[in-house]
Amino acid sequence: MGVLLEVRSLTTEFATSGGVVRAVDGVSWDVQEGETVALVGESGCGKSVSALSVMRLVAAPAGRIVGGQVVFKGRDLLQLSEEDMRRVRGREIAMIFQEPMTSLNPVLTIGRQLTEGLEIHLGMSGAGARARAAELLGMVGIPDPERRLTQYPHQFSGGMRQRMMIAMALACEPSLILADEPTTALDVTIQAQILELLKDLSRRLGVAMLIITHNLGVVARYADRVNVMYAGRIVERGSARELYANPRHPYTLGLLKSVPRLDEPRRARLQPIEGQPPDLTRLPPGCAFAPRCAFRVARCAAERPALAPVGGAGHLTACWEAGRLDRAPALR
Amino acid sequence: MSKYLLKRFLLMFPTLLGVAVVIFVLIRVIPGDVVELRMSGDRGSASQQAIDEERVRFGLDQPVWKQFATWVWGVVRLDFGTSMWTGAPIGEEIKLRFALSMQVAIMATIVAVLLAIPLGVVAALKQDTWVDYAVRIFSIAGLATPSFWLGIVFILLLLIVFKWLPPMVYTPFWVNPWQNLLQLVWPALAVGYRYSAVATRMTRSAMLEVLREDYIRTARAKGLVQKLVLSRHALKNAMLPVMTVIGLEFAFLLGGLVVTEQVFNLNGLGLLFVQAVAHRDYTLIQALVMIVSGFFILVNFVMDVMYAWLDPRIRYR
Ligand SMILES: Nc1ncnc2c1ncn2[C@@H]1O[C@H](COP(=O)(O)OP(=O)(O)OP(=O)(O)O)[C@@H](O)[C@H]1O
Ligand SMILES: [Mg+2]
Repeated sequence: MGVLLEVRSLTTEFATSGGVVRAVDGVSWDVQEGETVALVGESGCGKSVSALSVMRLVAAPAGRIVGGQVVFKGRDLLQLSEEDMRRVRGREIAMIFQEPMTSLNPVLTIGRQLTEGLEIHLGMSGAGARARAAELLGMVGIPDPERRLTQYPHQFSGGMRQRMMIAMALACEPSLILADEPTTALDVTIQAQILELLKDLSRRLGVAMLIITHNLGVVARYADRVNVMYAGRIVERGSARELYANPRHPYTLGLLKSVPRLDEPRRARLQPIEGQPPDLTRLPPGCAFAPRCAFRVARCAAERPALAPVGGAGHLTACWEAGRLDRAPALR
Repeated sequence: MSKYLLKRFLLMFPTLLGVAVVIFVLIRVIPGDVVELRMSGDRGSASQQAIDEERVRFGLDQPVWKQFATWVWGVVRLDFGTSMWTGAPIGEEIKLRFALSMQVAIMATIVAVLLAIPLGVVAALKQDTWVDYAVRIFSIAGLATPSFWLGIVFILLLLIVFKWLPPMVYTPFWVNPWQNLLQLVWPALAVGYRYSAVATRMTRSAMLEVLREDYIRTARAKGLVQKLVLSRHALKNAMLPVMTVIGLEFAFLLGGLVVTEQVFNLNGLGLLFVQAVAHRDYTLIQALVMIVSGFFILVNFVMDVMYAWLDPRIRYR
């Protein structure tokens, strides 16, 4: 299996009245063919902007990709013409958005919104496109797809809309799906169904997937590898198994302690991470997490640690005190 | 679908009846009636007896509810009676003027739509560039310029630059279309420009709002060409508020162009309205109010239909 997508030193900024927000700050990550990678972090850490940058859909003119490369199948997407990029969107890389209630056009039928991708990328039309659309709806578990095609988004529940978004993403059989918190807007039982569906379909169709979430519980179950993001940077990366068993960044540790875990006794108290994420317009020179960190040492405020290998293969962390975390499992 | 529209449709009738009651009572509350006005014109004051006789002739001595019932029964059969001032049948008085006013209103609306939608869309797409500023200046100027003044400028320019004056006598379209258009295109442009200003601003802001919507991003993420994103996904949503502005303005134009009609020497409904009020010509005022407001209500209903057509959330309510 080869590299499908490689993001190198990607930097995306927003010009706001309060100054320049560097939402994604020199971030590198990759996705192998057929693999599911997670991007995890608190609200506002730059997850959505990372995915939108890959699609080159960052809201202009405020938002701008100021540096880096997004190499997809050997081509740097950031260098493509707008027309060539358009052919990538939906065809090679599809995106599922965070808000199923507002991400579908209220005045167009489900069928119309499903078939237009097929028409534009695969040259399908008429009955052929409709048959394929119905097949897609069936595939994502929407009963009576023929009739559903003639309906409008407001006649769909939140869960069904998210299924519809998945169907739309799968329509042209892309090789990569960027799923931006595909379940946050849904209630818990539906969340599980949707995630199972995504996992199942991606595995069956061999689609690689970037799953964006702030829920480490989701990650454990569905991702092969995990990138933990904080204040626009990746602070830790590793296989899901490794990260769970042996987190080497205090932020990852904090995230783990803030979600319920089935492998621990029920009485274990959940501990939210103290404090607030930093203001992205004026980041401290050192580690952005330092002000909230229990392992903080003098060096943290002055120097920013780079991602460096620790422990097992492919496990990296950006923490001066990573060694201390490894030696003190009792801290957990 | 039909339930919502049926409700809207049925609602038109009580609304019209309400209008009828209000106008009928209001003009009778204003002091001075048509008989007094006419009689006092005959040098000195007429005898009370003559005035009373005239009132009887017009049925003004009857109790108000009875007058009302008689009138409404007439209106239902589309018989508006005769003018109390000229004695001519009102249907005849109004027919040509209605055609003229309606034509100016329709032409002005076409001018406005043809200007407003492209300009508004382009301004939104080029937000904060010189294109946007140019469109905004153009539309603010439109709002600040009275139509009649623009009309005068048109006439003067035609006269001075081309040594030509548009025809000043109305020719119905079905008699001589070319002659008709030569006359009416100028008032339509003068009125349409101002009208387009309102609609341009509405189009621009609605478009800006829609372009920020999540579903537009979804459409882009699907790899649609920009043209499709705009025409299929954005425009249809942005048209909802624009349509409201256009519809209301269109309905207003039918009876609201008093000064502009005067500038272009047009015998439209606006001018007739002013004369009818000056003469306290009850029957004519009533007829005009019913026609203009009936048209207003009808346009509103048509807009409801179009809303339902554009927006499935309404259609399925
Ligand atoms: N259009 C924009 N204009 C200005 N700032 C923006 C814009 N979009 C995002 N940002 C900023 O970029 C940062 C990252 O936003 P992003 O949407 O990527 O967060 P996220 O990690 O997806 O959070 P969430 O979990 O809430 O979705 C935030 O601080 C946000 O304020
Ligand atoms: Mg997000």
